[in-house]
Amino acid sequence: MTVSTTLTQDWHGEDVSIAEIEAELARLRAESTGVGGGPQQRTSVMTHVAWVPPEWLDAAERTLAGLAERHPSRTVLLIPRPDDELDRVDADLTMRCYPVAGQPVCGEVIELHLLGDRSLAPASLVLPLAISDLPVFVRWRGEPDFRGTQWRQLVDVADRVIVDSSEWGDLAYAELAQSFGDSAISDIAWARTEPWRRELARYWPGIREQEIRIRGPRAEAALLHGWLNARLERAIRPVEPAGELGVRLGSDDLRPPRATALTPSDLLSAELDSFASDPIYEQAVLAAAGLVA
Amino acid sequence: MTSVAEHNPLLDGLEIRRRPAPCVLVIFGASGDLTRRKLMPALYALAYRGLLPEHFAVVGAARSEETDDEFRERMKEGVQKYARDEFRQDIWDELAAGMRYFTLDFSDAQAEDELAALLAEVDAERGTQGNRLYYFAVPPSAIGPLVNEIAARRSGDGWVRLIIEKPFGHDLESARELNTQIQERFGESEVFRIDHYLGKETVQNMLALRFANGIFEPIWNRQFIDHVQITVAESVGIEGRAAFYEEAGAIRDIFQNHLLQLVAITAMEPPIDFTADSVRNEKVKVLKSLHTPGPKSVVRGQYGRGFIEGVEVPGYREEEGVDPHSMTETYVAAKLYVDNWRWADTPFYVRMGKRLPRRETTIAIQFKRAPHPPFEETAAEGLRPNVLLIHVQPNEGMSLAIGAKVPGQGMRIRTVHMDFLYGSAFREGLPEAYERLILDAMLGDATLFTRADEIEEQWALVDAIVAPWQRDRPSFPNYPAGSWGPPSADELLHRDGRSWRRN
Repeated sequence: MTVSTTLTQDWHGEDVSIAEIEAELARLRAESTGVGGGPQQRTSVMTHVAWVPPEWLDAAERTLAGLAERHPSRTVLLIPRPDDELDRVDADLTMRCYPVAGQPVCGEVIELHLLGDRSLAPASLVLPLAISDLPVFVRWRGEPDFRGTQWRQLVDVADRVIVDSSEWGDLAYAELAQSFGDSAISDIAWARTEPWRRELARYWPGIREQEIRIRGPRAEAALLHGWLNARLERAIRPVEPAGELGVRLGSDDLRPPRATALTPSDLLSAELDSFASDPIYEQAVLAAAGLVA
Repeated sequence: MTSVAEHNPLLDGLEIRRRPAPCVLVIFGASGDLTRRKLMPALYALAYRGLLPEHFAVVGAARSEETDDEFRERMKEGVQKYARDEFRQDIWDELAAGMRYFTLDFSDAQAEDELAALLAEVDAERGTQGNRLYYFAVPPSAIGPLVNEIAARRSGDGWVRLIIEKPFGHDLESARELNTQIQERFGESEVFRIDHYLGKETVQNMLALRFANGIFEPIWNRQFIDHVQITVAESVGIEGRAAFYEEAGAIRDIFQNHLLQLVAITAMEPPIDFTADSVRNEKVKVLKSLHTPGPKSVVRGQYGRGFIEGVEVPGYREEEGVDPHSMTETYVAAKLYVDNWRWADTPFYVRMGKRLPRRETTIAIQFKRAPHPPFEETAAEGLRPNVLLIHVQPNEGMSLAIGAKVPGQGMRIRTVHMDFLYGSAFREGLPEAYERLILDAMLGDATLFTRADEIEEQWALVDAIVAPWQRDRPSFPNYPAGSWGPPSADELLHRDGRSWRRN
């Protein structure tokens, strides 16, 4: 559903404190009251945190633009600039409102630029800004430094962490798997394999014995391969690189399943609807990492 | 390809979509507005989301002459005009490919044979495996004969289910007769009496509100609730349905079904689970325990000439096809009691009518006042009791009226509303009631349909209410179009020291 934004209010501050951010958010909320003919309404179903290195900022903002209406939330964008010579936090605050039944419903976007050493402790910024009693979802853009303090901290504060392993240089699934159990982890690359998983399930039980060859983009193919290894409890031939996912069963190339083309916003939106960890995904990751047969 | 007996490990973790078995949907009364405006757009919405059976067909049947292509074209126009999704030619083509039309005189046995032959042909063409879902969008008098004909031609292949539109009978006796006719030939699990209100998200959300939140159920009783008000208001008139409405009136059109279902859902005890029988067992207990204290607790009205949104509209007796001396009611207000431990002496005030100022269906739970507000009388003069208001339509959601201090010096209390719009938290488009209900019927899930005993309890109450109406002739019209009903409806509450909510 596309709903136009009726109101956007902004504030920019440099070297800001959480107290200043809270005060400015309250002011923006108050100023938006009455716009559109009714009292302003803030609705949130979660706190949505995104760890967005500067090179990912444009992509993240495009995804968010298609997301806010579906998941009204307080969004906290953390933009780390560890190499900056300044040690401070700069903030851009935006109140985005959408008309719902004639009334504006507003959500807040808090963009925090973490300069210098202030990028080392992101959880200490997320915790005071998280909305009480609602789940915290973290979307980690790009390849995490799994041994870095930022990853560990955000995994600890999140109810669910969403990565997209197709954004990674190395498919470090073994390192990712070490965070299973600390938070529910999900992967947008895994979500992209769903039409194929659904399609392949239709070939049970014949598929149990058939030769299977998988080709496709690295992350998706590796996860589909891991999934089949784990579910069928047998070794599948190594994957072959290709631009699109494809599967050959015995001597037959399977027709790609019919599926609606999903935008990055759609894919992230679906991940934000889930809360629990996904043991089938975790098994696929462990298999892809070679940690299980 | 898939073995049913053996566990398929590849399906683990995949969300199992509720996709029904192959079937043919046969719509009796397919030339009517319901098919074009509601049923076909609902089928399109299901097709759009991939929720229809893989092998599916629709056969429209009605008295009027129409070719397959004319039927498809008329349905396409309906989808383009009324569907909630964008029109996509590929989806429509797939749906229309399985669409046929059959001209049928409902009392002609030979035509029924021909219909059966057509359905066998459709089975062969579309792979629908003999499964039949019959939708009865026809007057009650046509249902019995059709049910007999369907039963007579029932083969052992596939399942048969019947969806029956309201009105289900016109009084207790006729409803019982119809139930008997149907039950002689079909099991209760094969019969789906539809009340589209139960397919509305907000009505189902009422169950979520009550039974998924620990804070409401402890205060959902006579100790904390002063009374309940349920309003089903329409701003439209009879929209050309004079023949139907003259027979039915507001009591049979709305009160007997939608309104009593809302009362049942508001007052029911928690079911032990969300299966069809558990939910319906609890609803029927409420319906059995409903009573109105007497004729003075029921008000009926009929609209006269008036204004709706600034436009002058005719009175009911001036509508085309209506008897100029008609005594049919277009408005009913009543005080009901639910005689059980939870609700004893707690009135449920209900009202419904046509040509009221706006379209609105709400359930208002008015709580008792705070026992001893420790403020000066003037400080709290703007304070009203807490009200939990459930908006069923339009703008699904709820709001809670609470007392809050007015900022500034001193202590002044005002009532403010905390609003929760359903759409503001969940921005998915809400499914239309018919989508949910048709899909449920295909899946054989009767939870949101009305059981035979519910229907009969509803009619028993209606019969008790209308019995005195034979002797009494109120002065109609007694409210102008565009008002909230006759003054006697206000008096009904004033006698109890209460008043209708200001809508």
